[in-house]
Amino acid sequence: MGTLLFQWHADPFVLLMVITLIYFHYWISKATPVKNRIYFWSAIALIGITTCSPLHFLGMHVYFSAHMITHVVLLLIAGPLLVMSIGPNPSAPMLKRISAFLYKRSWLAWLAAVGIMWYWHIPSVFDGSFSGMSGFTPMPVLHAGSMLLAGILFCWPLVGPVPETHIHPLSGIIYLATACISCSLLGLLITFAPINTFHHYWMAGSSMNGMLSNPWGLTPAADQQAAGLIMWVPCCFVYLSGCLYLLRHWFAAKDPNTGLEPSISLTLSINEHE
Amino acid sequence: MDTILVPEPEESLPSLSVSNDQGILQWISSVDHKQIGIMYLWLSVLFLVVAGIEILLVRLQLAIPNNHFLAPEVYNQLFTMHGTTMIFFVAMPAIFGFTTYFVPLMIGANDMAFPRLNAFSFWTTFFGGSLLYFSFIAGGAPDAGWFNYAPLNEYNYSSSPGIDYYCAGLLFAGIGTVTASINFVVTILHYRVPAMSLKQMPLFVWMILINSFLILAAFPSLNAALAMLLLDRQLHAHFFSAAGGGSAILWQHLFWLFGHPEVYIVILPIFGIFSEVFPVFSRKPIFGYSMVIGSGIAIALLAFGVWVHHMFATGLGNTVNGFFAASSLLIGIPTGVKIFNWLATMHGGAIRFSVSMLFAIAFLIEFTIGGLSGISFAIVPIDWQLTDTYYVVAHLHFVFIGGTLFGLLSGLFYWFPKMSGRAPDQRLSRWFFWLFVTGFNITFLVQHALGAMGMPRRVYTYPNLPGWGVLNLISTIGAFLMAGAVGLLVYILVRALNKGAIAASDPWDANTLEWTTTSPPGLKNFDRVIPVKSTRPFRDYKRPEDADWKRQEVAYTEKPPDIDITQNNSHGE
Repeated sequence: MGTLLFQWHADPFVLLMVITLIYFHYWISKATPVKNRIYFWSAIALIGITTCSPLHFLGMHVYFSAHMITHVVLLLIAGPLLVMSIGPNPSAPMLKRISAFLYKRSWLAWLAAVGIMWYWHIPSVFDGSFSGMSGFTPMPVLHAGSMLLAGILFCWPLVGPVPETHIHPLSGIIYLATACISCSLLGLLITFAPINTFHHYWMAGSSMNGMLSNPWGLTPAADQQAAGLIMWVPCCFVYLSGCLYLLRHWFAAKDPNTGLEPSISLTLSINEHE
Repeated sequence: MDTILVPEPEESLPSLSVSNDQGILQWISSVDHKQIGIMYLWLSVLFLVVAGIEILLVRLQLAIPNNHFLAPEVYNQLFTMHGTTMIFFVAMPAIFGFTTYFVPLMIGANDMAFPRLNAFSFWTTFFGGSLLYFSFIAGGAPDAGWFNYAPLNEYNYSSSPGIDYYCAGLLFAGIGTVTASINFVVTILHYRVPAMSLKQMPLFVWMILINSFLILAAFPSLNAALAMLLLDRQLHAHFFSAAGGGSAILWQHLFWLFGHPEVYIVILPIFGIFSEVFPVFSRKPIFGYSMVIGSGIAIALLAFGVWVHHMFATGLGNTVNGFFAASSLLIGIPTGVKIFNWLATMHGGAIRFSVSMLFAIAFLIEFTIGGLSGISFAIVPIDWQLTDTYYVVAHLHFVFIGGTLFGLLSGLFYWFPKMSGRAPDQRLSRWFFWLFVTGFNITFLVQHALGAMGMPRRVYTYPNLPGWGVLNLISTIGAFLMAGAVGLLVYILVRALNKGAIAASDPWDANTLEWTTTSPPGLKNFDRVIPVKSTRPFRDYKRPEDADWKRQEVAYTEKPPDIDITQNNSHGE
């Protein structure tokens, strides 16, 4: 266990991505409130943990379930935190254009996020991505970066920097609920897939030596099930929390119809059925 | 071309009675939401009586140990048909009856969005139920339990046509359910009176909106599973036959992917009914309007994250069981939130103990008992010990009767004056309440003990083990008490329809738009709708000086304009 805690690995491409993110953050939002700074640095910390820490090591070499935790953290926590760190109404016209674009095409954001998620879990792609990660390759940054991008795109129409381009909170609930179902389906497939569907971890047990090969003594079957279940059950709760957050904001927002409308026209309106 | 003249209704419906001066064809051809709602309710009552008789026979068989009143095959058919009927042809049509009748009235619309689709939904449900019961004369009713597990449902193990009728009947009813839900969603989103924002919608309508999405997400799984099973049985496919490369456990997944949301589908509208009943009879606004909606949405979403807790005993492994145990424990929270919403609504209120309110209060107690026994199943070892025992039977009846049926009865006593224009006899109604609640508790409380003592469910008889005989006898006596109470209910309703006192249009001093119409409502629901500026528009209208929206908008100082005529009191406009 002691040796596991020292398994920190910095990938130059990932470092480059993090530096670029920091540069962009300070370029876009020069005078953001402390709250946004906290969001941003939390996201950077999470990205660091998922790409350099022992969790990353476990996910790369030992446990499917650890790998899945990094996916969930990047997609559902780090991505949204990055978007929320931008702060409302930034001056950069590019962000306004992105917001306007995604506002009209929120289905595209949904599809991109869900598509990226599913793509990395196609068994041959999944195994291929691991064999492509040996040596000095951009594969780790592609993998983590695309998950992060999926998270950013996915939450943009909900918590993006331009409030006027947020989709209606109730549409947002449908948006999250359908993504939750898609996530559950993927989790379900992984949970109940035959044990040798994802070869990488099936083979990993034999290639590693000593304590690091399986520090918690999970069987490959239990590990794969836990991986699928992490995507299935806790993810659902993240989406559900998102739904309740949107609902709370919707109820807190001033409704133009409440109380302030002149009532006479409403009184005379006849809801005629054609 | 010959044309058939279909009689259009010309007068408002005088009562719940099927007798009508335009004849039965007028009912069959009706696309009016009130008439279709009433037909849903009558269908539900019909099947309640049928499924009730089935279970009385079952309880007679179980009254004493080693009884041979029923043959095992007949016993299996009766409990299967009882469960299937009660879920699909009593609870669902009753909920859809109230929904079809009251959703348009509560949102100020004159009909459903798609009136013909509405009729289609009802008649497919009716046809599905008839098809299911046709199995009795076509070679034997289904006998594999209401959840109809594979491989028992496969041709090799159930060669009588009963299971085929189960598939066909439920498929038809399922199609009707899905189309009705589409109709509800469009009606609610598109045909509200323009002044009514979503945040002012009655909570019953909100729950129906959430529930309709839940139905649209859950029923395809059942319909697909039924089609696959029919293919297995008729065309020798092998989706669920392990010998042919299929998977028997797949049926359980598909069934419970539908089945767990289904138990919320039959309870969310009930939560909606109670969220109308508690404020009206406590003379207070609902406590935590947004929390009721939020917890409703949470329940709907969580419904898809817990279904595996029905399958703890199938050997999916500790990893899977652990995750679903945790999520199942969590689902108690949003339901608990609602219970506290209603308790807080009652707190400090001027409570009127009408029969409707009595059922609502009884619900709080009985449903909480059912909820607690349900939570105990989330703990996997307890589930292993108690699964397939009478403890499960007790739990599900506390939820379905103490929850769903009490809610439907509360709704019935609340809305009956509106639907029929008559008031049911108060004294007899109270007798009914106490008889039914007593009978219910006598029947099912003891079954917790029976289950804990190890009596398995779905056995046609049992040996004379210590305590089993007497507890079963108590349960049977309770069942007959409930049957007597249901007989009394039918008498109360028929008597009220024939010579009940004329009901006022707003007998409960209620809050929502349906009470602004006459009792029963005219053929056309509304000519004009009163202003909607809060969740209690009718109360605002009756007490303009104390309107809810005035308190919400303190800054709004302008007086609302006076409006004199806002409701259509004449019949047949």
